[in-house]
Amino acid sequence: MSPFFRMGHPEAVTSLSSDPLPDVGRMQSERLMLLQQHMADQGVVGAILLHGPHVAYATGYVSPAVDSTHAVHERAVAIVGLEGSAHLFANDPPPNLIAKAHPPLSPELDESIPDLADALRMMTHGRDRPRVAIDELTGAMLRSGLFDDFDTVDASRVLGPARLLKTEDELACIDQAQRINEIAMEEVRGHCVPGTRRSQLAAVFANRVRELGVEGILIDPIFQPMPKDRSDPPRTSTGHVAFPTGVGDPTFAEGDVVWVDTGIDVEGYASDYGRTWVVGRAPNQAEQTLFTRWSAVMEASLTAIRPGATLAEVARAATKADGGVRPWLPHFYLSHGVGVESAEMPMIGTDLGDPFDEHFTLEAGMVLVLEPVTWEDGVGGYRAEEIVAVTEDGWRPLGGWPGYSPFDP
Amino acid sequence: MAGLLAVRPMTNRLEAARHQRVQTAIADREIQALVLGRQDNVGYATGMRRLWTSGTRPFGAGCVLIGTTGRAHLLSSWDSGVPESVPFDDLYPLTWSPEIMGSAMKAIEGLPTAHRIGVDTCSPGFIRAASRFAPEAEIVPCDDLMADVRSIKLEEEIELIRRACQVAWSGVEAVLEQPKQELPLSRSLTATANQGVTIPSSKPVVRFDGNATIVDIGVIVDLYEGGVGGRFVDGHREETSHLVSACRHGATHDDLADSATGRWLVRGLGMGYETPILDPTRGRDHTLRTGMVLSVTDGDLRDVVAVREGQPDVLSAKSPAGAGS
Repeated sequence: MSPFFRMGHPEAVTSLSSDPLPDVGRMQSERLMLLQQHMADQGVVGAILLHGPHVAYATGYVSPAVDSTHAVHERAVAIVGLEGSAHLFANDPPPNLIAKAHPPLSPELDESIPDLADALRMMTHGRDRPRVAIDELTGAMLRSGLFDDFDTVDASRVLGPARLLKTEDELACIDQAQRINEIAMEEVRGHCVPGTRRSQLAAVFANRVRELGVEGILIDPIFQPMPKDRSDPPRTSTGHVAFPTGVGDPTFAEGDVVWVDTGIDVEGYASDYGRTWVVGRAPNQAEQTLFTRWSAVMEASLTAIRPGATLAEVARAATKADGGVRPWLPHFYLSHGVGVESAEMPMIGTDLGDPFDEHFTLEAGMVLVLEPVTWEDGVGGYRAEEIVAVTEDGWRPLGGWPGYSPFDP
Repeated sequence: MAGLLAVRPMTNRLEAARHQRVQTAIADREIQALVLGRQDNVGYATGMRRLWTSGTRPFGAGCVLIGTTGRAHLLSSWDSGVPESVPFDDLYPLTWSPEIMGSAMKAIEGLPTAHRIGVDTCSPGFIRAASRFAPEAEIVPCDDLMADVRSIKLEEEIELIRRACQVAWSGVEAVLEQPKQELPLSRSLTATANQGVTIPSSKPVVRFDGNATIVDIGVIVDLYEGGVGGRFVDGHREETSHLVSACRHGATHDDLADSATGRWLVRGLGMGYETPILDPTRGRDHTLRTGMVLSVTDGDLRDVVAVREGQPDVLSAKSPAGAGS
């Protein structure tokens, strides 16, 4: 149990304390069942999964939050058939997994392909040109021709629909991750003073989440001073601002408006904390007005969220609330899902376009991270993120929603 | 951070040298276009810097190198993190739409007409997409091409790795200095962050065994990895491994296995974890070559070495001037 649940959220505006802690075993078996169901529906006899979040979903094995090059060469692999346990090929898997454990495979290496071929045979034995879902074909896999006799489809075809609707345990993981993230960031805010650097805030954040029992930091913490005009550098293809760039180590000066964005993981589930901070002074009137506009957009978006609503209805409500201008970054979205990845479906307002948003209907169990942005050239922008789960009669918050200091009273 | 200015002026030249090596390698293999999905390969070939996220990433075309034009086209919606050598018009923006991505690929001069498109890794979806934007092309695995180019380091790369190892040392020393009641890594994270470094390469290790402290820290500094590990008593590291001195030009798997005393791993190190990979079960056919940089783990000990004809250059040797200086 994380220390957080003993201590309670300091500034929770909604209480979720009655929520059950995630039951990790139940979560694993329900996910596997869902995945196998979608495989059967699509005539997929096996899934070969190399991508960390996919492996976590199928087996419960959560890869350490290390550099991608380490993750690739020390990766776990999951192989899932239509029935029975998922098979996990990993170094030192923890004992609490329902997946069947095997020695690791190294699908990056030509020398490991015979072992991979053996592993595949147990799943597709005797079938003619079996259809398998796969998320990555490494160079070694391509060279081997191992998949030439398979009908390969992208694994997202079976994992996408499975991951879209969260179980109660999955929601509890997201909630817990978000609350820990919030506690840490509410403390980091006190350190964001003139003269400090981004890297120093990142260390305060990393230390605090470790104290709260979390090791996995999913993204190099973002504390980005923002320009006041959309035409300020860096140059963008959208005409709006660049965020998050993840480049450089700025030193904060009094008056900087800083957009922050951090994410950690609990049992493989991501959090997503976004806020706007002002360095060394209170927000001025014009900045405060941006926050008021942002609050109106949030309220309108939340009012539109219920089962049966289309993504387009939510986008329209948000846009109407900000005077007809789309209140989000054009290279991103008004909202995205969160789960084993920090940005997943459903996404509202992307360049998939209006037809996509019109045809996509919200259902209970979907998760939305709302991240509207209100902007005025000469002043800058306000951005913050909140997570909701769609429920039978609307939505409920995930995380503690600790407020919007220094903008709210 | 201290030391950065001394190295930075070289980086454009270094970027150009790395890019040229990749272009030469694809020309040798008669590849007209190279599509790179792995961020470390993109960084190697172009100098592109991007927001760091942990773990694997789904395959996407992060960069397209074209042989005939010599141009590098990069996935980015802005010019921040993009090397000066790549003009804004050679960026294609982030998109959620496979159709828009397909159009962006089609618009890259030299890609739709390529006969052989190299990839460092790929997905069933990319193969299908490529059959539309480059109908004549054969998809050729080029992970080995990138690995070969990267495995022999340029001298500037070796110095960047040496510097990254010093940052890792500062993290190790912070662990050794801190009282046991504190979280073991807290001062370490602060020490590396004070040098502007917030990206871990590997999972940090801190363990106590009697009066010994076992520490292993790895970091990424300006795209290059550094690391060091060991068993420390009274702040001093126990002796270095024979495996380190066995890492010479021509050393075989057997040579390394004979020198190791604990659980061992010898693997490439550069822009993160690289090949070759040799351990008790893998890499039996590999031979070490001059210019390789290796992370050498033997039990709790880890060093980073550059392979030479004679004694290896131990890049993780602690600088007498102190870490990070």
